Amino acid sequence: MALKLYEKLKHAVRYWLLRNLPACQQTVETISQSMERRLTFGESIKLKLHLWICVWCQWYMEHLHIIRDASRGQANKAPDVVTSATLSDDARERIRRRLTNQN
Amino acid sequence: MSEAQAKSPYQSPDPERWLDEHGDYLFKYAVFRLRDNNVAEDAVQETFLAALKAYGNFEGRGSERTWLVGILKHKIIDHFRRAVREAPIGEGTDEAPEHNEFFERPEPWHGHWNSAYAPTDWHATPAELMERSDFWKVFNDCLSPLPQRTVSAFTLREVEGLKSEEICEIMSIKVNNLWVMLHRARLHLRNCLEVNWFKHEQ
Repeated sequence: MALKLYEKLKHAVRYWLLRNLPACQQTVETISQSMERRLTFGESIKLKLHLWICVWCQWYMEHLHIIRDASRGQANKAPDVVTSATLSDDARERIRRRLTNQN
Repeated sequence: MSEAQAKSPYQSPDPERWLDEHGDYLFKYAVFRLRDNNVAEDAVQETFLAALKAYGNFEGRGSERTWLVGILKHKIIDHFRRAVREAPIGEGTDEAPEHNEFFERPEPWHGHWNSAYAPTDWHATPAELMERSDFWKVFNDCLSPLPQRTVSAFTLREVEGLKSEEICEIMSIKVNNLWVMLHRARLHLRNCLEVNWFKHEQ
């Protein structure tokens, strides 16, 4: 009985928050900002509460960090993985000529 | 010639060897960021020329490749700086999509995720993704339709890891403008990766 009441109350709180907090479209903008600057206290509380009730925005935030970490991580590693392109023979020859003229 | 000099592999610059040993590496590095083969080739050439001139500063400290990459980074940033000066923007002519369709319009759920576009669980870690060349192919294709400036800002921030202020200075933009560009790039890229990579992977 007490458990049922607790569930009901939790549901009501979540619903109220969902209707009264900034919606997802605004929240994803805040998530992006959080990667650029320190959020204000108010922004940060609203974001935390929103994330508590919205798994979609939780994933959104997780994905932005995955993209950032993967991009920066590979940037410091061998670039063979990110592209199969190589210097064309023409370009190689052109650069070789330019360099030997300089010597 | 003293013995120490004779032992050093760096006593005189050897641009032909640089080209053979580091040419493709530098080109790949540049093309991922500059997204254009010709521009990347030029950046590699400029890097070698600058390296020849600055050879005295190298003195064999650290690896030759790291030194060359350091020069290339500057050349890449120079390119972004030049590109901005050569193609000043008209107001609002090159904005990335806002993707309003990702979110509900009618009340009561106005502004909440439209379930067709809502994020799903990726079950992925950055370390796994880094190794997948097919992931980076999709990543590049996803950035392609975005305006050049948006892609440049995103690359400088998320790939090169520069600070907001540095990017604003390089691109001559205000920080609020930068944040809008980054937000739109992320919104677009995240969805595109989900549709074209993660939904196929699962």
